[in-house]
Amino acid sequence: MVKNKKTLIIIIAVLAALPLIFKSDSFHNIMVLLLIYATLGEAWNIITGFAGQISFGHAAFFGIGAYTSSVLFYRFDISPWVGMVLGGIFAAMVALIISYPTFRLKGSYFAIATLAVAEIIKQLFVSWKFVEGATGISLPIVDDSWLCMEFHTTKLPYIYIALGLFAIVIFVCNYIENSKTGFYLKAIRESHEVAESIGINTTNYKTLAMVISAFISAFAGSLYAQYVLYIDPFMIFTLDISIKIVLLTVLGGIGNIYGPLIGASILIPLSEITRVQLGGTGRGIDLMIFGLLVILVACYQPKGIIGLVNKVAKKFKKEGEGNVEANS
Amino acid sequence: MLGQIISNGLLMGFIYSLVAVGLTLTWGVMDITNFAHGEMLMLGMYSAFWMFQLYSIDPLLSIPISAAVIFVLGILIYKLIIKKVLGGTGLTALLATFGLSMFLKNLVQYLWTPNYRYINGAIVTDNKIVIGNIILGMPQVVAAIGSIAMTLIVIYFMNKTKTGKAIQATALNRDTASLMGIDTGKIYAITFGLSGACVGVAGALMSSFFPIYPQSGALYSILAFVIVALGGFGNIKGALFAGLIIGLTEAVGGYFLGTQFKYALVFLIYLIVIQVRPKGLFGW
Amino acid sequence: MKSKLALFLVLIMLISTMATGCTSSQTQAPAEPPKTEDPANEPEGPAAGEPVKVGAILPLSGSAAATGVKLKYAIEVAQEIINGEHPDIALPLAETMGLPNLGNAPIQVVFSDHQGNPEIAKTEAERLIQNEKVAALVGAYQSSATKPASQSAERFKVPFVAGSSSSAALTERGLNYFTRIAPNDDMETEVFFEYLKYLNEETNADIKTIGVVFIDNEYGVHAAEMVDKWLEEKYAADGFEKVVAVKYPTDVTSVDTEVQQIKAANPDVLFHASYIGDITQFVKKYKEFEFSPKAVVNYCGGFQDTQFVVNLDKDGDFFSGGAACAPTLFSTMEVADKINELFKVKSGGENIDGPALEEFASLMVVADAINQAKSTNGDAIMEVIRTAKFDAPYFSTGAIQFDEKGQNFYSASFIVQTQGAEYEAVFPVEIQTAKPIAPFPTWTERK
Repeated sequence: MVKNKKTLIIIIAVLAALPLIFKSDSFHNIMVLLLIYATLGEAWNIITGFAGQISFGHAAFFGIGAYTSSVLFYRFDISPWVGMVLGGIFAAMVALIISYPTFRLKGSYFAIATLAVAEIIKQLFVSWKFVEGATGISLPIVDDSWLCMEFHTTKLPYIYIALGLFAIVIFVCNYIENSKTGFYLKAIRESHEVAESIGINTTNYKTLAMVISAFISAFAGSLYAQYVLYIDPFMIFTLDISIKIVLLTVLGGIGNIYGPLIGASILIPLSEITRVQLGGTGRGIDLMIFGLLVILVACYQPKGIIGLVNKVAKKFKKEGEGNVEANS
Repeated sequence: MLGQIISNGLLMGFIYSLVAVGLTLTWGVMDITNFAHGEMLMLGMYSAFWMFQLYSIDPLLSIPISAAVIFVLGILIYKLIIKKVLGGTGLTALLATFGLSMFLKNLVQYLWTPNYRYINGAIVTDNKIVIGNIILGMPQVVAAIGSIAMTLIVIYFMNKTKTGKAIQATALNRDTASLMGIDTGKIYAITFGLSGACVGVAGALMSSFFPIYPQSGALYSILAFVIVALGGFGNIKGALFAGLIIGLTEAVGGYFLGTQFKYALVFLIYLIVIQVRPKGLFGW
Repeated sequence: MKSKLALFLVLIMLISTMATGCTSSQTQAPAEPPKTEDPANEPEGPAAGEPVKVGAILPLSGSAAATGVKLKYAIEVAQEIINGEHPDIALPLAETMGLPNLGNAPIQVVFSDHQGNPEIAKTEAERLIQNEKVAALVGAYQSSATKPASQSAERFKVPFVAGSSSSAALTERGLNYFTRIAPNDDMETEVFFEYLKYLNEETNADIKTIGVVFIDNEYGVHAAEMVDKWLEEKYAADGFEKVVAVKYPTDVTSVDTEVQQIKAANPDVLFHASYIGDITQFVKKYKEFEFSPKAVVNYCGGFQDTQFVVNLDKDGDFFSGGAACAPTLFSTMEVADKINELFKVKSGGENIDGPALEEFASLMVVADAINQAKSTNGDAIMEVIRTAKFDAPYFSTGAIQFDEKGQNFYSASFIVQTQGAEYEAVFPVEIQTAKPIAPFPTWTERK
C-alpha cells in the first residue's frame, strides 16, 4: 500500500549515515537545523501543499511546542519528551480553535489571518510573566541525558532525534498523500467549489490538515528549544521562521513530500556557509549573496528544485515507474 | 487628549495608506506578494535623503524624483525578476521577492553603512499647527496631504485613463484582457512601476520625520500586508480606509490598553473585521 | 531554456561542492596534525609567534547592525594596539608587538555575525571554539545573544568576556567562564537615583515622580524591573514615586501614543531604556508635543551612541544617562584620547562611545590575561581573569576587576549630560566636566 517506501528508506538511511561520515561539528549543526526545518516544511506542506491553504503563521505552532516543553522543564523539571507531546497537543488545540473562524477565508485573506494569529500569540508570550516574557527562558543545564534531552559532548543524539522525527513525519505525509484524505485535500486545493459539490466537508478536512500540521510543528519546536537551550518570543515566534518554512518548501517543491527536504538541504547550508565565510565583514555581504542566490533559484526554477530532479530522473529511467513523482 | 490621539492616529494612518496603496496594486492586479515592498519604500527614503545631502534639494521638492527613481526600480524588478517567476505558483514570487528584500537591505548596508540617518533642516522641520490643545506636526500634516493627493492620482489614473482601465481589465482576467489586445506584460510592468512610485512618494514624505536606515522599510511591510487584506486585495479605496483604521486602532487602542499591545491590536482588528467581511472592507 | 537549465545545474553543483568541500576539510583538519597530541595535555601555549585567536560575536547585520559595526571598530582598535608597537599609549601590551610572554604572538580576532539571533549566536560560538580554535570569546552586545553563546563557551571551558551586555541576569547564572565589564542595569539604576538625589540637593529641580519608558524586550523589561526593585528597597524613602510605565513594542513605527501617555502622567523624571532609533524619535516627539520633564536618564543604549547628538544636535541637549566614556573627558585622559583617535580613523570621524569602549576593554582584558597566563588554555586564562586587577586607564575608574560572579566591580559608568551637543560628565562630582543643568528648560525657552 505504501508507495515510495523504498525511496524513503534509502533517503533516511543516507541521512543516518551522513553524520557518521562527516564528523565535524559544523556539519552536525547544519544537519540538526536542516532536519528540524525539513520537518517543519513537511508539516506546512500538509496544509499548504496538499490542501492549498497558505499559512504564514507556522511559527506560532513551532513556538507553542518550544514553550510548552521549555516551561515544563524549567518550572517543574518535567522531561522534554513529555513536554514535546503536550506541546503537540496544545498546538493542535490552538489550531483547532483558530481553524473555524479562519477557514471561511480564502487565499491571501487566510494567509494574512494566520500571520495575524502568530503575531498576537507572540505578543501574549512577550507579556506573559509565567513564561518569563521578553527575558526568555534559559533551560537548566544538566549532564548529557536522553531523559532530559540534553547533550553537550556530541550532537549525534540531536541528529538522530531530529531524523527520527523527520522519518516519522515523512512517512505520515506520504501516507496522507496517498490516502483518501490526501485525495480530498488535493481536491480542495484544486477547487473549493468542486470539492464541496462532490460532497467533501471542506472545513473538516482542512481543519484536520491544520491540526496534524500544528501537532508536527510543535514537536520540531520542542526539539529546537532543547537544542539551543535558550528561547525568547522574538526568536521563536518571529515571522522569519514562518517565512523560512514557506521558502524552503517552495524552493524544494511545494506539494511534494521530497520538496521540504530538498529545500532545506539547500537553504540551510547555504545560509550557514555564506555567513561563516563572509559574515564577519560587518558589511552584509553574506546576506547579499544569499539573497541573490535565492532570486536566481526562483527565477530559473520557478516550480522548485523538484522539477529539475524530476527531469533528471525521467531522463535516467525512461522505463519503469519513476520513484519521484511530481504533483505540482 | 483624546482629540490629540485621534489626530495622531489619522496622520499616521494616511502614511500607512499610501504604502498599502502601492502594495495593493501589485497584490491585487498580479496576485504577487511583493516581500520587497518595504525595501522599495526604504530606497525611496534614501533617495530623498541623498538628494538633500548631496544637492540640498528639500524632500518636498524631491518627491517627483523619488517617485521616478522607484518607478524605474519597480519596472526593473518586474523585468528582471517577477516576469521570470510568473510561471510558478504565487509563492515562487514570494520566494524571489524575499531574496530581493534581503539583497536590497544588505546592499544598502554595504554601500551606505547601517547608521540611522535623519534629514534635519527641511522646510517642514519643527513647524507645527496648533488647534486649541491639539498639536499637529507639520511634517506629518504635509505627509498626510501628499498621501491623499497621491492616492487620488492613482484612483484617477485607474479609472479615467486607458492604461488604468487596461490594468483593471487585466486584474479581472488576464487571459481575456490579452485576447482583447492588451499587452499584459506591459501592463504588469506599469503596475509594478506605479506601485514603486507610490512608495517613492511615501518615502520622500516620510524622510523628513522618520529615521532612514536599511531596516526602516521592513517595519511597514507587515502592517502594509494587513492593511491591504483589510481593505480588500486590489482595492485602492479599501487600502486608504483600512490604513486609517489601522492608524486609529494603533493610537487609540494603544493609549487605553497599553502601547506594547498596539500592533497586536492591529492584527486583532483584522481578524475581527474579516469575520464580517471575509473579502476585506471593500472586497467584492 | 536549455542553457538556462544548464546554468542552474552548474550553480547547484557549485553550491553543493562548496558545502561538501567546506565540511570535509573541517572534518579532516582535526584528524591531522593537531590531533597528534591529546588536547588535554597540549603544551602550554602555542608555538612562539603563532597568532592567538580570539572570537568576537557581534550583531553585524539586522536591526542592531549600526551598533555592531561600531563595536567591531573598537575591537579592531584594541587588536591594533596589542599587535603593533605603540609606546606612546600607556596601556599594557601597547608598547610591545603582540603578547610578549608568548613570543610576541599577535592576537588575531575572528569576527562573526549573529544577526541578533540567539540561535546563530550559539552556533557561531561553537564554530569559533571548535573550528577556529579561539582561546577566548568577546561580544555579543544583546543580552539575549550573549546568554546562549556564553553557555556554549562554558561547556568548552573557554572564557567569555562580555563588554557591553547589560542584563544583570547574565552574571546571576553561576557560570565559571563568564565575566562582564559593563556595569549591569542593577548598578546603573542605583547610580541614577544617587544622581537624582544630587540634583535635588544642588538645584531647585525637586524631582519626585518617575516615569519609566522602555522597549518591550529583555533589555527594557529588565531595566524597568530594576527601577521597581530600587524604589522598593531604598529610594521610595527619599520621596521618589513611580507614576507611569510606558512599554513600547520593538520595531515601533511611531511613538506618538507613547508620548501622549507620558505627557498625561507628567512625571518629573524619565528613565529611558531605548535604542538609538527609538530614543531619537522620542526626543523629536517630546519637542513636537512640548513635553519637558525636569530630567531624563538613559540606560546604556541609544542615548550613548554619538549618533544621538549627530542627528538631534541641540535638540538632544539636557538628556543624561550612564556612560563609560565622554569625549569631553578625553582632554584629561590621554589614553582614552589616543584610543579615540584610532577609532575615528575607522569610523570616519565619529567619536567612540561607551559600549564601544567596553568592547575595546573586553579584548584588552582577554589579551592581557592570555599574556599573564602565558597560555591559551581556558582554565589558565580564566584563573588570571578571575584574580588579576587589570589596568584600564581609559575608564574613569582606571581599573577592571571581577567579583566572584564575574561582574566588574569597578563600575566604569558615570553620568553624562548632553550640553551644547556634547556629552559632559556631570556625576559623580570628582570627574565633573560641567555642572548638570536641571530642571530641563522648556522647549520654547530653548530658542
